[in-house]
Amino acid sequence: MLEIKCPYCGKRSQNEFSYGGDAAVKRPELGKEVSDKEWDNFVYLRKNPRGNHREFWHHVAGCRQWFKVLRDTSTHEIFKTARLDEEL
Amino acid sequence: MTQEYRLKKNGYINRNKKISFKFNGKKYFGFEGDTLASALLANGVHLVGRSFKYHRPRGFLGAGVDEPNAKFQLYSKETTEPNIVATEIELVEGLVAKSQNCWPSVNFDFGAINNLLSKIFPAGFYYKTFMWPKNFWYKIYEPIIRRAAGLGIAPMKPDNDRYEHKFEFCDVLVVGSGPSGLAGALAAAKNGARVILAEDKSRFGGSLLNDEVTIGNKKGKDWADETILQLKSMSNVIVKNRSQVFGYYDHNMMVMIERTKDHIEKPTKYTPRQKLWYIRTKETILSTGSIERPLVFGNNDRPGIMLASAAKEYLKTYGVLVGKKPIIFSNNDGAYDLAIEFKKNGIDPLVIDIREKSNSTAVKEAKNLGIDIKFSHAIANTNGYKKVNSATIGKLNKDKTGYENLENVSCDCICVSGNWTPTVHLSSQSGNKLKFQEKIDAFVPEKSKQNESTVGSAKGIFTLKESLEDGFKLGYELSNKITKKNIKSSIPPSNERNQDRHDKFWCMPLPKNKDYKRCVDFQNDVYVSDIELAVREGFRSIEHVKRYTTLGMATDQGKTSNLNGLQLVSNIEKKIIPEVGHTTFRPPYTPITIGAIVGREVGKHYRPTRKSPMHLWHEKNNAVFVDAGLWLRPRYYKQGNETLQDAAKREATNVRNNIGICDVTSLGKIDIKGSDSAEFLNRIYTNAWMKLPVGKARYGVMLREDGIVFDDGTTTRISENHFHMTTTTAQAANVLSHLEYYLQVVWPDLDVNVLSTTEQWAGVALAGPNSRNLLGKLFPNIDVSNEALPFMGFKKGDLFGVPARIFRISFSGELAFEINVESGYGIFMWEKIMELGKEMNIEPYGTEALSTLRIEMGHVAGSEIDGRVIPSDLSLDGMISKKKDFIGKRSLNRQAFVELDREKIVGVVPIDKKTMIPEGSHLVANRNASLPNPKLGHISASCWSVEYNNPFSLAILKDGKKRIGEKLYALSPLKNKSIEVEIVSSHYVDPKGERVRS
Amino acid sequence: MTAITPLELVHKKGTFGDHHKKNEEDLLQISEVKYLNIIQIVHYKKSTLQLNNITVEGLKFPLESSKVSFNKQTRILWNGPKTWLVISLNENILNNIREKCDDKNFAITDISHSRAVVQIKGFQAREVLKKGSPINLNEFEKDNCAGTVFHGVTILVDLINDNPDTFNLFTLRSFGESFYHHITDAALEFGYVGV
Repeated sequence: MLEIKCPYCGKRSQNEFSYGGDAAVKRPELGKEVSDKEWDNFVYLRKNPRGNHREFWHHVAGCRQWFKVLRDTSTHEIFKTARLDEEL
Repeated sequence: MTQEYRLKKNGYINRNKKISFKFNGKKYFGFEGDTLASALLANGVHLVGRSFKYHRPRGFLGAGVDEPNAKFQLYSKETTEPNIVATEIELVEGLVAKSQNCWPSVNFDFGAINNLLSKIFPAGFYYKTFMWPKNFWYKIYEPIIRRAAGLGIAPMKPDNDRYEHKFEFCDVLVVGSGPSGLAGALAAAKNGARVILAEDKSRFGGSLLNDEVTIGNKKGKDWADETILQLKSMSNVIVKNRSQVFGYYDHNMMVMIERTKDHIEKPTKYTPRQKLWYIRTKETILSTGSIERPLVFGNNDRPGIMLASAAKEYLKTYGVLVGKKPIIFSNNDGAYDLAIEFKKNGIDPLVIDIREKSNSTAVKEAKNLGIDIKFSHAIANTNGYKKVNSATIGKLNKDKTGYENLENVSCDCICVSGNWTPTVHLSSQSGNKLKFQEKIDAFVPEKSKQNESTVGSAKGIFTLKESLEDGFKLGYELSNKITKKNIKSSIPPSNERNQDRHDKFWCMPLPKNKDYKRCVDFQNDVYVSDIELAVREGFRSIEHVKRYTTLGMATDQGKTSNLNGLQLVSNIEKKIIPEVGHTTFRPPYTPITIGAIVGREVGKHYRPTRKSPMHLWHEKNNAVFVDAGLWLRPRYYKQGNETLQDAAKREATNVRNNIGICDVTSLGKIDIKGSDSAEFLNRIYTNAWMKLPVGKARYGVMLREDGIVFDDGTTTRISENHFHMTTTTAQAANVLSHLEYYLQVVWPDLDVNVLSTTEQWAGVALAGPNSRNLLGKLFPNIDVSNEALPFMGFKKGDLFGVPARIFRISFSGELAFEINVESGYGIFMWEKIMELGKEMNIEPYGTEALSTLRIEMGHVAGSEIDGRVIPSDLSLDGMISKKKDFIGKRSLNRQAFVELDREKIVGVVPIDKKTMIPEGSHLVANRNASLPNPKLGHISASCWSVEYNNPFSLAILKDGKKRIGEKLYALSPLKNKSIEVEIVSSHYVDPKGERVRS
Repeated sequence: MTAITPLELVHKKGTFGDHHKKNEEDLLQISEVKYLNIIQIVHYKKSTLQLNNITVEGLKFPLESSKVSFNKQTRILWNGPKTWLVISLNENILNNIREKCDDKNFAITDISHSRAVVQIKGFQAREVLKKGSPINLNEFEKDNCAGTVFHGVTILVDLINDNPDTFNLFTLRSFGESFYHHITDAALEFGYVGV
């Protein structure tokens, strides 16, 4: 059971959160022209690294805020968490 | 009565309380404070089980969790439990236990025939035999093996005990209350840290219970008792016995199981049987001790042959002699403690020592007491089928490959000591990369991955003095990291017997021309010859040797056998042990009950249940409920003996002809406010929202980024910047998260607040030609005419004093309205509607009738929105705005989505107008085509159409629209159905949608 | 017309669990807290209004996570950045809020009917909560609040008193009955009085 530091509520147990996917993904602006390849990359392609991963988590049982986490996907070590407007 | 082997004094048992128990049908007596093992040994009982494969007689080997043989079946009034280890069961009045894996009895076991056939059953025979002839497997081999497999009997009744959980936090968790653990806990507690001390056994003190030592001029045990009292008096300390920390998990989460009931004769009604603690600790001190290793020699597995440390524990803690004519066989000084104890209690042991000599205080003391010691000697073989009665001993030759002479010595027990294996399981589980220490021939923790440190013999420190120093030092350092109070505890002086060198030699050679069985894994019957065989057959990696021979795979998980096995492999391979490696340590450390893991979440607590405010009314009116996610929704309201189908027909017909009321509270409601609300809706829905007038509702479809339909619902503009969104029941929580994601992560510049209000409002749907009439009666002061309240209109109203929201929306396709009132008035609203609607023959309808109504209308729901369809598949292409960008729009350009013959929603009617088409059936052109029969589409939802009185289904069909009028086949191999069908429009009833607009 | 409270038909009065041989004053007390007004207030992102000038019922909005501003009738709980739950026994609270917080700068939503509220009071109240909630209750102080779970049910915990410990536990109304069963079952080991 992971312990995750919500940037608002502090350290909480994993069962209060929901995993939110790769945080490196940036949605292209609405209405902007994007090539098919760019769009496919955004919708489908993920790096899925073994090791450090910047990802989103959602504090569903608490403050309901989305935030960023830097976690090692093979050891689960969590190095840092940050609010959406902060640097990770 | 007898307890022939119980000493008159000695031990920490309560001789004032006698306890009776039954073992294998016979009644025995013991004392309070006994384990089942110590009580049986006090009565001279050694033969307690049979080994797994060869059914060789088995007796007690150890006194704790390391015990591999004494696994019993326990019986209580209600149920039975298998594989319970006797050394961990506290004796309680009326206990009933039986041996396992033997028939008809442990004394006379038919299974012993395996032993005679042992040449056919060497290691790995599972993989080589029972393969021919092929068809014998299912009919003959498998049933026989199945009956012979396993040890105990699984209980067939539910476990009625209570199990609790607990989440706890602390600064320092100390695992084990031996001297180093007590030292660590005391130092940390005095320095102001929040400490939890966990001890697996019922008594605290670990080795201090059985060793002749002093700490600060007190007996070791007295020091332990005082320290525990001191710790218990401190408010920052939790002291727990009967509590085993069995698993080390992420971020220093330690899980511990506390046995709270089995040792209590008359527990209170709600005492849980066990408590599972999830402990998040900042630092962990592992003082888990070490386990003695057996020496390996010919027929070393007979009952009566046990670890010397166990024999010492039985003597000191329980006042029990494991024999009256003992042989002690050792390669180190530790076993001499036992020899001295025997002598002090009037028993003359014979000590067989592999070493040439020893200068330790223990050996000197033993010699002074006149104990008979034979140095440079070893045991080559033993005799005595059901209990050891003699040993063949001999002087080892110079290079220890054989014996110079051999003689037979009678005995009634053999206590062996081959050195100690540090208990490193938890450390390894935490990710610590263990290191092999040559000096002690065992693995110790080296590089920590988490906040854990090991002290005492678990680290390979085998003197009391060092253990105490280590414990105090670590307890202070770790606690000071957290409290920074700098309160140091003084380390008391200690006294112990000093030890000389041990001899590493542990596996005795066989005498010339003899092939006695030398046992390594006692429970799983793995012998030296098996391991040699495995290596010969090419299994080099220790993981492969383990699985091929089953070494260390029994319920004791190799606590007394893994390291011996490892050394054997490395000797044969001529590699050093670190190269051979070790098998992976995984939790739990010892077996734990599944009940403890589940805790409270059984029966009605298995999952939470969600109930609508009107639930009690539904119950009282014969509603039969269905699970809609966590919600309980009425499926139908049963009248008389009607079936589900009858009720659905009756209820749906009443809606089409009259008026029905349905509880729609579970559908998601989301309140949306803010200056950018309309813009936000515009981005998440496929259609246009900016110009939706106040007081109007609109149907909306939401897509995922990949273009697939995510959810649909009706959203109403209550005021300029205030919207009320509805979602399906199943997706309510997901839609809320989806909205929050886009507002927080993707478009943080939008100023919008979203909030779930599903629970704030109780909701009902009033549907049917008479619904407007009834609405008028409910809201006499509002103009509910078609002009004043048109289709997709919204009004606020007053329902006899209760504020209400009225939406003219319809899922059933009939003229319909949805009314919301605040949940506390839900039942009031429902009862008022039933009362005023009585003369119009209003009847409640459930989800089955609701499905019928929407299916024959061609309205899509979850069965069509299955994660594979895009809007045009559902005939919703009209909803796609060409003017603005929205989530999912870009993906709709994908080639697969624009193919002309893509699947589309259609209606399906069986040609015979009688046969219901199973949902999930595949639509094919030719029912007799050879496999694979090309799938043209599938049936998504089926009902009995009350409008046409025949079965009707919705389907997603390739090139659907062009196939209207075609005849195809619906195949369901699962239900064995092959039905001829005609494809029709999905809007079977009221295709122009006139009813809702009436 | 009085509304039916979420646990009205579920809560049982009486003494339950292992209460024998214990003084009644030492037992836990479990009850439903009725007729609380619960209002969500969110301060819009684009609002330039300064919060430190605004009070509701004389209370300021707590700006730190998990904090509560309170007086005898009303408690304002921090519920997220720029988000608060106002919990009050005052019938007029919604109007009073609207007087101080206009809808151009704040989103105000009445969710009073959406929660079931259980109160557990007694020196073992923390022990009961520890059975199902993974938060650090050892460091949970009076007038702190936290959103967490209890055996899988999302709850909001508000510690309104610490002599003895008194927790108000809020859960979604539809989960009310399930949650009530979970918490009373957890209290059986200690013995409790349904008041």
